[in-house]
Amino acid sequence: MGFFSKFRKKSPWILHYNTGGCNGCDIEILATLAPKYDIERFGALNRGNPKQADILLVTGPVTKNCRDVLRRLYLEMPEPKVVVAMGACGHGGGVFRHLYNVENGVDNIIPVDVWIPGCAPNPRALIDGIVEAIKIWEKKSKDKEYMKNHSKEMIKNLGVNDD
Amino acid sequence: MESLIVLSIIIPWVFALTVYLAKNDFVTNSLSYLLLPILAFFAIELFFGTLPVYIHTSKILDILMDVYDFGLLFFFLYVGIKYKNSLVISLAILQITLLIMALIMMPHSDTPNIFVDKLSAFIYVIVALVGVPIVIYATKYMDYNEKNKHTFVAILLWFLGVMNFAVSVNNIEWFFALFETTTLASYALISFRKDEEAINNGILALWMNQIGGVAILIALILMIKYNGYYHFTDILNHPKTVAIAALGFLSLSALVKGAQMPFHKWLLGAMVAPTPVSAILHSATMVKIAPYLLLRIAPVIKGTLLAKLLIITTGYVFVVAAIIALTQDNFKKILAYSTISLLGLMMLAAVVGTPIALTASLVLIVFHAFAKGFLFVEAGVLEKAFHVKYIKQMRRLVERAPITLMFIFFGFLNMTFVPFGTFIGKWMMIEEVSNFLHHGSYIILILYVGAGSAFLSILYMKVLGISVRKAHGIERIKPIKLPITFNFVSVWYYLWLLVITIFIAPFIANEIVPIANMIAGNSANIHAIGLSLQMNHSILYFWQILGALILLLLIHALPYFVKFKADIVHPYNCGERFPRYIETWNFECLSKYENYLIAFSIALFIMVVVLGGGLL
Amino acid sequence: MISVILTIFAPILGGFVYGIERIVRARMQSRMGPPLMQPFYDFFKLMDKRPIMIHSFHALMGIMYFIAEWFALAVLLLGNDLLIAVFFHVIAVLALVIGASSVRSSYSVLGALRELMHMISYEPLMVLMVVSFYLVVGSFDIKDVLHYNGYPILDLPLVFIAFLLTIPMLLQKSPFDVAEAHQEIIGGPEIEYSGPFYEALYTGKWIEYIYVFTFAFLFGGSHYWLGAILVIFAFLFINLLDNSTARLDFRRMVKFAWIVLIPMAALNVILLALI
Repeated sequence: MGFFSKFRKKSPWILHYNTGGCNGCDIEILATLAPKYDIERFGALNRGNPKQADILLVTGPVTKNCRDVLRRLYLEMPEPKVVVAMGACGHGGGVFRHLYNVENGVDNIIPVDVWIPGCAPNPRALIDGIVEAIKIWEKKSKDKEYMKNHSKEMIKNLGVNDD
Repeated sequence: MESLIVLSIIIPWVFALTVYLAKNDFVTNSLSYLLLPILAFFAIELFFGTLPVYIHTSKILDILMDVYDFGLLFFFLYVGIKYKNSLVISLAILQITLLIMALIMMPHSDTPNIFVDKLSAFIYVIVALVGVPIVIYATKYMDYNEKNKHTFVAILLWFLGVMNFAVSVNNIEWFFALFETTTLASYALISFRKDEEAINNGILALWMNQIGGVAILIALILMIKYNGYYHFTDILNHPKTVAIAALGFLSLSALVKGAQMPFHKWLLGAMVAPTPVSAILHSATMVKIAPYLLLRIAPVIKGTLLAKLLIITTGYVFVVAAIIALTQDNFKKILAYSTISLLGLMMLAAVVGTPIALTASLVLIVFHAFAKGFLFVEAGVLEKAFHVKYIKQMRRLVERAPITLMFIFFGFLNMTFVPFGTFIGKWMMIEEVSNFLHHGSYIILILYVGAGSAFLSILYMKVLGISVRKAHGIERIKPIKLPITFNFVSVWYYLWLLVITIFIAPFIANEIVPIANMIAGNSANIHAIGLSLQMNHSILYFWQILGALILLLLIHALPYFVKFKADIVHPYNCGERFPRYIETWNFECLSKYENYLIAFSIALFIMVVVLGGGLL
Repeated sequence: MISVILTIFAPILGGFVYGIERIVRARMQSRMGPPLMQPFYDFFKLMDKRPIMIHSFHALMGIMYFIAEWFALAVLLLGNDLLIAVFFHVIAVLALVIGASSVRSSYSVLGALRELMHMISYEPLMVLMVVSFYLVVGSFDIKDVLHYNGYPILDLPLVFIAFLLTIPMLLQKSPFDVAEAHQEIIGGPEIEYSGPFYEALYTGKWIEYIYVFTFAFLFGGSHYWLGAILVIFAFLFINLLDNSTARLDFRRMVKFAWIVLIPMAALNVILLALI
């Protein structure tokens, strides 16, 4: 907690990833970016790049195809980082729960810090969730974080060998 | 002085003969190493000595030269008949006819036949400092599965002597003889491997350069007919009266020798030969005759319609060769195209003809010679030690061949980037030409220079981009031990380029500007203030030179030493596994226009012949 | 003296310019926008991230880009030749491109190649612009341009328009933000930088703002109020253009630069040289 960490709350950069939801949440996210709610007034930007993002905003129930992608995105983000699971699907799968192709929620893949309930959550709820996330984020250190069931094997499966 | 000149010409020949006869590794290696200090000493002694030197030669030498001429042309005829090439045959017959005509018409002249001024001495220096290391390099290069090493080195040595001779003759008929001798040398070198492709390319080089010979002969005849003299010094002494058509044909021969656009194929063909051939053709010898010839006649053609047409043609080649180079895949071909391009720039600077432009041309010649020699040497190293020929094979070169890549990087930096000579040449050109923009050709010139340099920068960055590509940390650097000869030659060029660049201001102001002043007849307003370079009112400060140099040195050398303490992650690919291979653009959108671009260059070339030559 | 201060504080000043730009852009979209100090908050936050990288070479090139950009600005403001400053800018591009192509990420490599396309679009035009300054002022020296009593903008209207349309290429603004293309290749050359290393690129871009707008300022000659007006006009115009246009294909960009902008500037130079 040095001098620089005071400025964390001023610029949360968001990485948004949809893991197979119905796009309802995504539309709400767009609404949050749009003039009425304008999340940029808090300094938040939608970066679309894990390397430069601080908050991983996940929507959707995590389909099996998305699983590894979500893991990679999480690992590529530099610490300190927070994960926000948005919408009912993220919380254990929602209406998709126990489907053959679904991992039943973000929590099974990566550790989640903030849950935003709703189907789909209101933009105000989203902003509230992000404010909560910033509170948690401010307390985090720069130590490396790992995904759920982290093991050497899994890392090896995720990446490719160097050429 | 006279003896120095004669020795600079004769010694390479003597060495060549010795190497050829001895066919012994020790003799070849030691003689080629020995030639470096000898020729460098002679050249530098000459360069700083009292010049110009005129040497009267006896009548017998004249006759010998005529005999040699015919011998040479009949040899071309023989080659044409042997390989059943009608072009070579007809051009050889044409040349013989024209030569007989010229000899019949030729009046007696008392002007000395050998004439060495600062410009010739300047080329001597380049031949000694750039050309001889390539011969040294060839002695090792030919040890890698190549045949006839000693013959090859002998031809190279002989070529250096011929080049020295060619730039010191005054008589245009002699110049023709030596011009065609360099043609012969290039034919012999290009077809050295004696396989079908090599011979085809050799023949191509032969007939294309024969066209240049024909142009010289026509120029000679015109000059004899209209002016009655045929020596360079006579032309320069009577700038007003000389037949512009003759100068037009002389410049045509320069365009051919300089591999300008419709005639660029022969220089590309040279890449089938062993790499030292390309190195020597591109850097020190052969193609440098072209800017040399234009620099010789620059004060006479300055400001004429011919000069403006040449500006348009050579500038066009500068841009178009750079564009076509973008579409190439073969590393040596890319280098060849960039040579063609930069030769265009050199000639462009030479025909503008003001002292500053001439300085720019000379600076370009120096830097191009060193950098291109360097790059081709490294291309040969890549080919032999790392088996890399195409740029797509250059991936991960940063790991496999760190030192070689560093040298290539440095060579490329020299070809366009800021504190180096090529940039200074362009800078001088643009600022000089800005003074007389009232003629359209000069505005085109500025566009040419701006566009061409942008295209060349893109070309080099593209090639470098592939060779540094790497997924993860650059950790497994294992420098492969290279032969000491290769390292000696590389370091030789590297150090020369570095030293000249640091002291570029005094180098240009004290060494290059006097040559340009001597050619142009009036003095260029270029001075060195300490290590800063002043041209007219613009100053290139030393802190700028040093800053850019340090930046670029850091960029090309530091990656091997800097290790940040940070965690390593995968590149981002939307969370997917990232692809194993990433190529680069091949600029296919440009390559489909290649034929149109070349066709247009033919049109420009014809325009130079018709309008510039004053045939209309 | 002013130029020394301007050079030294260029990153800070550029940060403010960027902050203003973000507000202006937000207001144009009838949003409220971030606070003025937002770029600095971002800067400090990036300082606090765990440093990760692809490899040292790549990270180093980002830092070299920043230094080269700053150096190019120093050459522009403290040197006495505009043309040299234009060529110095290429070093920054070199560092950026080499860095971006040194990683095996298709976005980064594509961005690097597109960055090169940017270069062929603006480089000849910058050279022409400097030459046209020489035609008007009679010197390549930036001090002489700033002491010129006439109004360069009146002599060089077409060059100014051409330059105005080149600024989006230099600053990566729509419709010519093909190298950065946030929705398409996610930032292009800058994609693989993160944390403190991204900072170098982030601030390098701020310096580029100062570098570019200095050229716009020169069109005012010794009338600094005119220069200031031109800079503000250029700034607003660029943002308006950025907000109201979609991104073009890089081929269109190159064609536009070569078919419209360069002939336009050349025409102005020709007319100026003849009259």
